[in-house]
Amino acid sequence: MSRTNISRRDFIVATSVLAGGAMGISVLPRLAASQSNGASEITPWLVIAADNTITLRVPGPEAGTGGTTQAAMLIAEELKCDWARVRTEPISYVRNVREGNLYIGATGIWSSFAGGNHAPEIRSTLLQAGASARERLKAAAAARWSVPVEDLEARDSIIRHTPTRRKASYGELAALAATIKLAEEPKPKPESEWTLLRKTNPPRLHVRSVVDGSSVYGMDVRVPGMLYAALVQCPVHGGRLKRFDFAAIQNMPGVRGVAVIDPAEPRIELKKPAYWASTEAQSGIAVVAEHYWQARTALAAMPIEWDLGAGVERRDTQQIYDAIHARLDQPPEDLVKDQGDAPKLIAAAGKGVIEATYRTPLSEHATMEPLNGTALVTKDRVELWHPAAMAMQALVIAQEETGVEPKNIELHPPLIGGSFGRRVGADDVRMVLAVAKKFPGTPVHVIWSREETFRQGRYRDLQAVRFAATLDDEGLPEALTVHIAGHNVITLGIVDSIYVNGCIPNVRFETSSVPMHILTGQFRGPGYNSHCFFIESFIDECAARAGIDPLEYRLRIVRRWADEGWSKCLKEVGGRAGWGQPLPKGHARGIAMGSWATDGEPGKGTIVAAVATVEVKNDGALQVHSLDLAFDSGRILNADAVQAQLQGSMIFGLNMCLNEELNVQDGRIVEDNFDRYSMLRMADVPRSINIHMGALSGHDRYGGTGEVGVGVVAPAVANAIFAATGQRVRTMPFRVDVLPPQQSHG
Amino acid sequence: MAIALSINNVRHQTDADAETPLLWVLRDHLGLTGTKFGCGIGQCGACTVHMNGSAIRSCLVPVKDVGNARITTIEGLARDASHPLQRAWMEHNVPQCGYCQAGMLMAAAALLREHPNPTDQDIDSAITNICRCGTYPRVRAAIHAAAGGREGERR
Repeated sequence: MSRTNISRRDFIVATSVLAGGAMGISVLPRLAASQSNGASEITPWLVIAADNTITLRVPGPEAGTGGTTQAAMLIAEELKCDWARVRTEPISYVRNVREGNLYIGATGIWSSFAGGNHAPEIRSTLLQAGASARERLKAAAAARWSVPVEDLEARDSIIRHTPTRRKASYGELAALAATIKLAEEPKPKPESEWTLLRKTNPPRLHVRSVVDGSSVYGMDVRVPGMLYAALVQCPVHGGRLKRFDFAAIQNMPGVRGVAVIDPAEPRIELKKPAYWASTEAQSGIAVVAEHYWQARTALAAMPIEWDLGAGVERRDTQQIYDAIHARLDQPPEDLVKDQGDAPKLIAAAGKGVIEATYRTPLSEHATMEPLNGTALVTKDRVELWHPAAMAMQALVIAQEETGVEPKNIELHPPLIGGSFGRRVGADDVRMVLAVAKKFPGTPVHVIWSREETFRQGRYRDLQAVRFAATLDDEGLPEALTVHIAGHNVITLGIVDSIYVNGCIPNVRFETSSVPMHILTGQFRGPGYNSHCFFIESFIDECAARAGIDPLEYRLRIVRRWADEGWSKCLKEVGGRAGWGQPLPKGHARGIAMGSWATDGEPGKGTIVAAVATVEVKNDGALQVHSLDLAFDSGRILNADAVQAQLQGSMIFGLNMCLNEELNVQDGRIVEDNFDRYSMLRMADVPRSINIHMGALSGHDRYGGTGEVGVGVVAPAVANAIFAATGQRVRTMPFRVDVLPPQQSHG
Repeated sequence: MAIALSINNVRHQTDADAETPLLWVLRDHLGLTGTKFGCGIGQCGACTVHMNGSAIRSCLVPVKDVGNARITTIEGLARDASHPLQRAWMEHNVPQCGYCQAGMLMAAAALLREHPNPTDQDIDSAITNICRCGTYPRVRAAIHAAAGGREGERR
């Protein structure tokens, strides 16, 4: 079960978002902007300038979760500085290597992720960084004024000595403070004394640069002498470049050359922190020119022939779906969980068995910023300006692709125009370097067109599940068997659900692999984004069979679980959404619950419950009128950021279930731009998407809020469709399947 | 043959090929990277700019067709981010990743010029840009707030 045994922990990084947050940074192509004009580094985490500008160094780039602002708030809480003068810059990864894991050593590899600041060890590191700097500033003032440090107070970037009415700004004390060695590092204050965290929701630090157009994303990186490359890879994954005719385009305007990416070229292989999606080089070719439009035009004009490989045998989507469904009829491959005697109870139950099959399709991340990156490669040095969501992964890939030592690889992280898991694996970093290394000494900005971004994804896996269950005398599930078939099954969403960890006494959970040439990877709420739909729809089927109201049914199930968060979420969202109150004809509500990062244990991660209120019109058209969500992440650091993440993740989940499906034709991905891959727009999004705070337990944890909202939307909507029509929707996307004909499977 | 352009009230000359979309002239020739590349086919709206005050998708307009038209980009929307929409965007913490937001702002600015106090339906019709992060509710709220409308308080 190695393949399926990817732990939730591995994904924290991928898409996680904090209960906090915001963002910062005007990204500078060159390092150490903070250390110009006489600013002083008090600790490796922060620099204070004479004019009291404070630069806080944050672990990980900003991909929209607010992670960088949250990190800055953690440092600032203890530093007691003037928030209005705070800016952020990324920690220096190359310095981390050169100075013996200066940053990563303290916080673990995960600190380089886009989110994860809610992880206790990262929180404490950042709080400590602020406290250590503050005490150095106080010690500097004490030395200057010859007064006891105990008599000093730090606030708003000023140290005050009240008895003598002296005061000095952090900027005035910074140079001296930088030389101070403390006998002992201070302890951060208790949470009860926080004034910034949990109390304030400052604007995310990068917002100003976004609204005035000065923000620098990967796409906006400009390096002197830079050339542009337009890239194309084999349209059938796994195929190879057969021939091309550069002579046909070499005289086109601006064209400077061509780079062939050859997967067969020898490369070193290293242990990678993110190993769950392919990062191998893909066969491809890039045209390099003075401007991107020239490169793109020349690439389109260049004759290219591909050896499409075995993938071309996959003639259409249905063929793949059929293979996945056929696999469900065969004995499962990997046993994930087995407790009690589920198969025996189900075999003995005859007509009492409830069975159903569900399926989800391939989905593309569709980040608004197409894939791209800029690199300068020389024999013994790499400089990379890349919107990588996981810096540590990008650095390892850079070393693999170029053979350059880590101490000579510099990564400058720009803002990231969305990741949702796509920019974690750094397969894009490899392709950028594979091109740039063919032009040693010249910075090359490699850009995937939107079509190329779509065609060369690491998609959300397509999966099908077969469930069978029996109910006990009270109508609650007594036994459950689960068989999931997919290309590369990630078990999250089932393996860590309360159902298979105690709420259903007899469980057998198995998976099977159906190998496919199409590359898949992690996608916001990996596994969970499909499995919550599967299990929460099926539980609804059990409730219907038992003749019990779906909300009441779930309340009875969660009574078997030692975490009141579940019932609180259900009651809160039910009450807020008017569960049970009359609705017009054709309207109905559906409910679902889910969790992320609980590891299948009480008192961990984040729990949610959601209600969808939908209308199914006479012609079968579906309209989602409102979505309500209640959650328990324990505590939250920044209510505004949490609201943004939960609301955004619900819209993300709604798009998945209403619109998203990638189709395959002769091995190629068919949908290659937004004209064929529908996205919800302003007019399509329910006016009423409500995040309710009433279920927050105050338990001592800060659960993430980036993924958990994604999973519950589809089952809530599907269950509402059932309530409105009596028909089960068992495949995504829902749009075309709302009314008869029903799906043939299940 | 150099092409003359009026961008944000400044005259520019570009030696870009006449067929080059305005988007790429702005970004790669004139250094105005605030206007974003999203799809290249006029679907997503990340490249929205104003041409004589109206919102257009700059990825679809060859630079030779711009002629004497006045082009305004996000960099020229207002001095010091002082446009009511920019202020509302900051106040409502609208952007998440932010990549689509310049296009959203330019589309919204064109809307407000035509409908100073837009209804929700006006917003639905005018703002057809795509945001993958799901900022739509805040975009709507911020537009209402900038317009001074009642609905602006809604999150």
